[in-house]
Amino acid sequence: MMTDNTMAGAEQVLQEAREALDEGLFPLQLFQDDDLHDLEVQRLFGQSWVFIGHESEIPEPGDYARRYIGDDPFIFVRDESGEINLLFDSCRHRGTQVCRAEQGNTSHFRCPYHGWTYKNNGEAAGIPQKTKAFQELDREEHGLAHVPRLESYEGLVFASINEDVPSLEEWLGDYKWYLDIQLKLPDGGMEVVGEPHRWVIDANWKTIADNFNGDSYHTAWAHGSVVDLELGGEETVGHAGTGESIDHHIHCNGHTTSIRGFEDEDVFLTYPDEIVDELFSGEELSEEQWQVARQALSFTGAIFPNFGFLHFGDTTDDPNKDVAPFFTIRKWRPIGPDQMELWSWGLVPKNAPESFKERMYKMYTSNFGPTGNFEQDDVPIWKSITEAAGGEFARTQDLQLNYQMGMEWMSEMELDEDWAGPGFAYSENLEEGGMRLFHEQWYEMVAGNDREDALGMPMNVDTGVSR
Amino acid sequence: MKLSDREDELEELLVEREVRQFLNHEAELLDARELNEWFGLIAEDISYYMPRRSMRENTAGVFSDKSYYFDESYGSLKARVMRFDSEYAWAERPPTRTERYVTNVVVTDYDDEEVDVESNLLVYLSRGDSEDHDFYSAKREDTLRRDGDSFEIADRTILLNQTILSTDNVSIFL
Repeated sequence: MMTDNTMAGAEQVLQEAREALDEGLFPLQLFQDDDLHDLEVQRLFGQSWVFIGHESEIPEPGDYARRYIGDDPFIFVRDESGEINLLFDSCRHRGTQVCRAEQGNTSHFRCPYHGWTYKNNGEAAGIPQKTKAFQELDREEHGLAHVPRLESYEGLVFASINEDVPSLEEWLGDYKWYLDIQLKLPDGGMEVVGEPHRWVIDANWKTIADNFNGDSYHTAWAHGSVVDLELGGEETVGHAGTGESIDHHIHCNGHTTSIRGFEDEDVFLTYPDEIVDELFSGEELSEEQWQVARQALSFTGAIFPNFGFLHFGDTTDDPNKDVAPFFTIRKWRPIGPDQMELWSWGLVPKNAPESFKERMYKMYTSNFGPTGNFEQDDVPIWKSITEAAGGEFARTQDLQLNYQMGMEWMSEMELDEDWAGPGFAYSENLEEGGMRLFHEQWYEMVAGNDREDALGMPMNVDTGVSR
Repeated sequence: MKLSDREDELEELLVEREVRQFLNHEAELLDARELNEWFGLIAEDISYYMPRRSMRENTAGVFSDKSYYFDESYGSLKARVMRFDSEYAWAERPPTRTERYVTNVVVTDYDDEEVDVESNLLVYLSRGDSEDHDFYSAKREDTLRRDGDSFEIADRTILLNQTILSTDNVSIFL
C-alpha cells in the first residue's frame, strides 16, 4: 500500500540517493527498503519491458507456461493460430486464476469456480447458462485481459503493463547489436532446453542486477573455487585487469555487456570446430559483429531492468574433459524488498547435433543454476548484502557503498575509440560504470522520471559534453 | 509355510538390513561432511542424476526429460566434491548443518552383485548465523553394487518434491 508516509519516506531516501549517485556511491539501505520496493513495483517494473520467456518454450499451438511481472500472474500461451499471447490469469467473472499448472498444453482454460471457459487466445468461449443468467453480457468484452504490450526480439519475448512504453526495439536500441551476436551466431538461432530452473532467495533483486552489469572484479574471489579446480580458464574467471585477454566493458542504451576475448584469434567462445564449421556461417551478422564473435571468450550481459545472460567458453565440469561453452539467460523477479525468484534457462544452437546440445546444457548446470559451481557461491553473497542493508545501522549511519572504480580520480579508464560496435566501450574491465548506469536508470524511474534521462555520456568520460 | 520359503524371506531381510545399514552410514558421512570418504562409496561408472520436477494439470510425479540439476559422471561428481576443499567455496563456509532421514527403504530387486533400492530422503538444513531452517524431500532410486563387505553406489536418481526450490543453492549431496 502506497500511503503518504510511504511516499514521504521514499522521497527522502531518493533525494539522498541522488546525491550519492552523483559521487559514484550507492546507499547500502537501498538494498532493502520496504517503501522503495512499493515504488519499484509501481514506477519501475510497471513502466518497463520485463522478460517473459523464449518462443521455443511454447513451440506448438496450445503450449503454455505461467509467468509473472512482479506479483502479477500471466499465462504465456501460443494460440491455435500460432500467435503468442500473454493473458492476465484472472477470470473476468470473479477473478479466480484459470491456469493452475506451471506448464502444459490446452485449447481452453477453464475457471474452477463457476466454469467460465476461455480459448487459448483469451476469448471467452463458454459462460454456463448464459442465455438464462447473463443475457445482456457481451462475451467479446469478457475475455481474459491481454498484457497491454507484448513484443519479441529474436525469440526473446518481453512484455510491459504500461501501454505507453516505447517499442521493445527502441528500449533495446543499439544493444541489439550485442544480442545479435549471442542469438544469431549459429544458423537457425538458439533454443531453450526443457524448463527453467526456478528458486526463491532472500536477496534484493538489485544485488544480482549489479552483478550482471559488469562486475568483472568479483570473479576471481567469489569463484576462486572454480579457478582452484581448473574448471574455468584463468582468462574466463581470473582476476579482472590481468592476463592476456582483451577485455571490454560496454554501455549501450542503458544495457551493458562485458566481453573477454583474444585479438586476432579464432576463439568463438570455445565452440568446437564442427559447430563453427557447420553452423557459424556468419550470414546473419555484420563483418564487425563476426569479428567480435570470432575473438570472444565470454560475454556477460544485462538488459535493464531484470534480464541477464552469460555466454561463456572455456569451462568444464571435469578437469579431465575438454572445455565447452554454455549460454544461459535469466530473470530476477522481485517478490519483496528482501526476496526474489531467480529464473534461469539453458540455451543451445537449435541446429546443433543432439550430443552437443546435451554437452552444452551440462556445462550450464555445472556452472550456473542452483547447482552450478559458480552460482552456488554467488547467492549467499547477495543474501548477505540484503541482510546488512535492512537494519537500523544502514538507515542511520549514512553507509555508502563504493562504485567509483573507473572514475577519473580512481583509475585510468579510456574509451576504445576503435571499437566497432555501438555504445561506449571501455578497454578495461576494472571499472564499475555499468553498475552506475544501472543505478542511474533505477533512480530516474523510481523518482518518476524518464529512463532516457539516465542515458547518454557516462559520468566519468570527460569529452566536454555534459551528461 | 515351507522352511525353504522362510529361508528366502530371511535372505531378503538380511539384504534389506545390509542396505539400510549402508544408507545410514552414507547419510552419516554426508551429515558429517566427510565428503572424500563419501566419494569413496561412489562407483567409477556412477550416474548421479537429479531431474527437474514438472508441474502438470492432470499428472502427478512428472519429471522433465531434458532439464535437471545434476547429471554427473565420476569425474564431474569428483570435481564437485573437491570444490569444497577450496577456501573459496563460500556456499559451504560455514558448512550447512544437516540431518538426513532415510526411510521407506524398499529393495525392489537383487542378485549376487547388485541391489536396486528405493528410499525416501528428508534432509533438514540450517545455515549461517540464523534460526532459519529448510528441508529437501525426495525419493531416491539407487543401484548399489557389492564391494567386499559393503556396497558402492552405481546409480542414483534423486526425485525432489519441489519444483521451485526454496534454498539459496544446492551445495550438499542428496
